[in-house]
Amino acid sequence: MLATLAQAVVNGLLIGGIYALVSIGVTLIFGVVKIVNFAQGEFVMIGMYISFFLATRYGIYPLLSLAVSMPVLFLIGVGLQHFLIRRVLGLGDMPQIFLTFALSLLLMNLALLLFTANYRTVQTPYSDSALYLGPLYIPIAKLIAFVLAMALSGALWVFLRSTDMGKAMRAAAQKPEVAMLMGINTNRVFCVAVGVSLALAGAAGSLLMPFYPASPMAGQIFVLMAFVAVVLGTLGNVKGALIASLMMGVAESLGIQFVGADSGLIVVFLMLLLTLAFRPSGLAGGAAR
Amino acid sequence: MMRGLRHPDVLWLFLLAAVMLALPLVVTSRFAIDIFIRVLLFAFIGIAWNLMGGYAKQLSLGHAAYFGLGAYTSTILQIRFGISPWIGMVAGGGVAMLASLPIGALCFRLRGPYFAIATIATAQVLMLLFLKFRDFAWGAEGTTIPNLGNAPLMMQFDAKAAYYYIALGLLAIGLAITWRIERSWVGYYLVAIGEDEDAAEAIGVNALRIKRDIYMVSAFLTALAGTFYVQYIYFIDPATAFSFNISVEAALVSIVGGIGTLWGPVIGTVLLEATSALLQSWLGSSLGGVQLTVYSLILIAVILWRPTGLIGVLTEAYGRIVHADSARASEAAIDG
Repeated sequence: MLATLAQAVVNGLLIGGIYALVSIGVTLIFGVVKIVNFAQGEFVMIGMYISFFLATRYGIYPLLSLAVSMPVLFLIGVGLQHFLIRRVLGLGDMPQIFLTFALSLLLMNLALLLFTANYRTVQTPYSDSALYLGPLYIPIAKLIAFVLAMALSGALWVFLRSTDMGKAMRAAAQKPEVAMLMGINTNRVFCVAVGVSLALAGAAGSLLMPFYPASPMAGQIFVLMAFVAVVLGTLGNVKGALIASLMMGVAESLGIQFVGADSGLIVVFLMLLLTLAFRPSGLAGGAAR
Repeated sequence: MMRGLRHPDVLWLFLLAAVMLALPLVVTSRFAIDIFIRVLLFAFIGIAWNLMGGYAKQLSLGHAAYFGLGAYTSTILQIRFGISPWIGMVAGGGVAMLASLPIGALCFRLRGPYFAIATIATAQVLMLLFLKFRDFAWGAEGTTIPNLGNAPLMMQFDAKAAYYYIALGLLAIGLAITWRIERSWVGYYLVAIGEDEDAAEAIGVNALRIKRDIYMVSAFLTALAGTFYVQYIYFIDPATAFSFNISVEAALVSIVGGIGTLWGPVIGTVLLEATSALLQSWLGSSLGGVQLTVYSLILIAVILWRPTGLIGVLTEAYGRIVHADSARASEAAIDG
């Protein structure tokens, strides 16, 4: 019983690391640009397909394809901000919600057209190997994904704290007008913020590829998790999103283990609704807009 | 009822009603009638969504919750208790209204995008729950609705045209309700909430109560559509009844047609369903994803270039024609 519980917690933490990459992206865009990116999951999906095709066409290991998926998605992010999001900023909820929502639908259905609904998997030499820690079973691929996800989250933390661009980003997040008066080019900062967020989503996709099948709808679950985590962890709060994502992973895993294989999502949604009911401002406190 | 309508409006309305009533007599192709029914039904769902999402700008992406509750209520009443879907339809509306109270109480704490996300979550939770209800709601397999032949009292008909008239009736009800609300104080309150909720509250609008009330109306109407739909296709399962596509299309037709306008959802549905029917006849139904790809491109185009929707485009064009006419008239007057 205890071993089962521990195993469920470990499984949850491992996948929670991936959720964290997606959530941090969502919360970063929300914090800086003040919009919710409904298409974040589709950028995870794009990251997965990039890794899949690099692996199957050119034999590049999914982990190495991080070096491709992250820069490609960064550029897509810059373009997304500059050509699309910028045009709806300050226009109210409807355009802001439905622009990225439409983008999500578009990318999903384009993927369906181009790549069909088939599930695509990549076999790596370590796909089937695992560590055994006492009674605990830890798949290597998931462990690597978790460690790299945490490393990337940490790198983002350092970036936001100590680089000029990171500081400009936080300034633009707090008071865009004042930041602009201080000589910060807000559109440039927004472009970098969206770019970095999408690069994280792309990284999540590449990290998932060794153990998670790619499909046009693959991003959906991750963006749902991210939304819940971002509400739980207080909107716009990077550390809150990270911690909440790990919690979500564990909650989902416990739901699957103890309620039933198809109950992971119910647990997650109920957590969201309960959070909304009792702590609408998120666990870390602060104002939920 | 007709107070406030100008003469040309009444004339156009009667003309439109006459055309719509005569349509199934002229067009007999089952394929065409099927498309008409889809248009009427989705226009109706769009109208229900628009009351909340359009006028009060509460952008729900979870209206499938009420569609599904309506569908399941009438089906369970029919199969388990032999109660006619006509009664089940109204009962489903009642269930949806009741369900909208706790859902609204939760979701209205949030604004903007997080309201939308919370509504997605509620619809998904309901779908997941109905997947679990194997005993009384048939779980994931769903069930076919027993075909009783031509049984008008059980909302089953041989002639497709009958379904057409029911859908037309629903649409007329939806339009009439919206028309009434739009012109009442409730309508103005809704628009005020949609513009700026805090400001509306500051001048004495009880935003929570108005939102709750309009959400109930919207849920009720959406549930009617759910009952009709499963009666029409003779099948129900959680994936059909709580389909995310229902939530999406409800919002989509309203935004594309003209958010917060009486005829917006109708015009939007006509455009989108016509596009979809054309695509289907060109490409066949084999290419999954084409329809939603095109829908999302249209949606992006509307958001970037015409946020007032097609109705905005039409009004503008109409205004330009009228303006050109009157300009010409005044020129003529000066010349003369």
